[in-house]
Amino acid sequence: MENELFMNTEFPPPSEFEPPSSSSAMMLNWALMDPNPQQDSSFLWEKSTDQQQQQQQQSIFDSALSSLVSSPTPSNSNFSGGCGGGGGGGGDGFIIRELIGKLGNIGNHNSSGEIYGGTTPMSRSASCYATPMSSPPPPSNSNSHMMMNRTTPLTEFSADPGFAERAARFSCFGSRSFNGRTNSNLPVNNNNVVNNSGKLTRVSSTPALKALVSPEVAPMIPGGEFSRKRKALPKGKSKENPISTASPSPSFSKTAEKKEDWSGKGSKSSEEKGGKRRREDEEDDDVEEEEGEGNKNNNTKPPEPPKDYIHVRARRGQATDSHSLAERVRREKIGERMKLLQDLVPGCNKVTGKALMLDEIINYVQSLQRQVEFLSMKLSSVNDTRLEFNVDALVSKDVMIPSSNNRLHEEGLQSKSSSHHHQQLNIYNNNNNSQLHPNNMMLQSPMNSLETSSLARSFTHLPTLNQFTDSISQYQMFSEEDLQSIVGMGVAQNPNHESQHMKLEL
Amino acid sequence: MASADKTINTDVPEKDVFAIHFLQSLSNLRIQNLFNSPDTTNYRVRKIKKAAYVSMARAAGGTSRLWSRALLRRAAKGNNKIVRFPRRKRKVTWKISSKRRRSDQRAPVVEDAAERLRNLVPGGGGMETSKLMEETAHYIKCLSMQVKVMQCLVDGLSPK
Repeated sequence: MENELFMNTEFPPPSEFEPPSSSSAMMLNWALMDPNPQQDSSFLWEKSTDQQQQQQQQSIFDSALSSLVSSPTPSNSNFSGGCGGGGGGGGDGFIIRELIGKLGNIGNHNSSGEIYGGTTPMSRSASCYATPMSSPPPPSNSNSHMMMNRTTPLTEFSADPGFAERAARFSCFGSRSFNGRTNSNLPVNNNNVVNNSGKLTRVSSTPALKALVSPEVAPMIPGGEFSRKRKALPKGKSKENPISTASPSPSFSKTAEKKEDWSGKGSKSSEEKGGKRRREDEEDDDVEEEEGEGNKNNNTKPPEPPKDYIHVRARRGQATDSHSLAERVRREKIGERMKLLQDLVPGCNKVTGKALMLDEIINYVQSLQRQVEFLSMKLSSVNDTRLEFNVDALVSKDVMIPSSNNRLHEEGLQSKSSSHHHQQLNIYNNNNNSQLHPNNMMLQSPMNSLETSSLARSFTHLPTLNQFTDSISQYQMFSEEDLQSIVGMGVAQNPNHESQHMKLEL
Repeated sequence: MASADKTINTDVPEKDVFAIHFLQSLSNLRIQNLFNSPDTTNYRVRKIKKAAYVSMARAAGGTSRLWSRALLRRAAKGNNKIVRFPRRKRKVTWKISSKRRRSDQRAPVVEDAAERLRNLVPGGGGMETSKLMEETAHYIKCLSMQVKVMQCLVDGLSPK
């Protein structure tokens, strides 16, 4: 599969390259590689917004990146696996393109930022590398310029301190899909370098690489915790970046974690990375391709397609194990929802701690259910005499009160209705924006929630309702009072004997 | 953290939607002539309670919510005449067991409470804790709305 990958790009297989610890060697290799690639139009250097070209470029970048990534072989196999699976998944290898762009512009420090700026919103990519570049590098960096730079990479590479960082970052990225990491924030400010360095997960070991990495990482992960999760369902919270990429391979997330780890732990991280990568590869390798394929479909989508990956970043100094990260994400999710519940449940503000709050919530739900039961008991005792009123009231209510909620399921309505009600329901379901009958205006005006109106055609045939318009007009709001008035309308319709009967019963 | 709230949608429709649904269900019940004999008080109560829940589930969005879906399914199982539940052609199977097994290891305090919550919220058995809490929030909102409607009704129907 590795060979497959490189057949497209004609880059030498990555196995030649040494592990990331030797950044200079990596750069050298990359530099060597650089003149090799064909300068066909499909190459990434071309600023083309064409999706296919991008894909091709991505594939090229994939190979470039994989070669660049002086990662151990298992990760390389993952690249090929992921890339193979992702294929030219729309705009994949954005990072790679970026990297190459950067590398090409090594000599021009001022323009290096532009390159990144140009390659802004990286949409999701299915392949292992990066996200697709939605916008080409700025035209100011002309092809020729980049081409030119390309040819003399080595000296520039070594000269650019940022390059090492970028290369390192890309090396880490290269092994996995960038899924969302390189989202819209790709316009890299080289200035941002230092701030996020602490947040970077595992990264190639050398400090130079770190410097390279942080600018790339900074925009992509603005200040956030951010790691890539491979689960199809959003497991953690998506960060500021609209995570459009559909293909975060878990291994990639691990690289993100690894980077961060590295920033905190220096050389240790490289070893961890190696070990962890292998572990992750074992775990996620089979899943990677599937998701790559699935993600391919999402490449062209705008950011945040429904099937989103939540990218979480490991915090500095915290474990970057995939499980612990998932755990943390999950805990955060739960905590956030607890806050939501806290607002709902009255009196929960004073309670601190998850356990107590959950107890409160459970008590509240139980109390609500008990209330429903109690009220239903009350209604049953009342209803047998009053339900008749309800029918009339229902009819008028039915007609007058339109479904302002689009969630109203008409099928449910219809299934419940008898033939008698069916007509009303049909009327009800016809949400015409026609004027309501003036009799209805009394009821309608108080009802703030009325948005759509269904014609109260049948309203006019209820002569008794005219009596109640006066009483109804008192009510300013469709609230409890209104409801009572509606009910009262039905009540008043009946002769007295029923009320006496009612009294007896109550 | 605040931005994530936007993704959690716990809107419930207005009170009138609940009211309409509930009144319709009540009128349906009335048509069945259940309220004639005092012996069947319990039966009546149960019927009304079930009607209340079903109407609440419908008002809250039918099958768009997990809990409402579970509620309706539960009701449809019992009595197909009253509640018609659209059959799903493809049964959605969740890896409940795997999820639950996994979640048991996490924050046992939370998980114990979540277990109790699962018993309360319809359809909670198949949800993970975070999803469960989302559903609980929506469920609480709908329940409180339903309680308000029923309270109004009772107040309106009680002798003045």
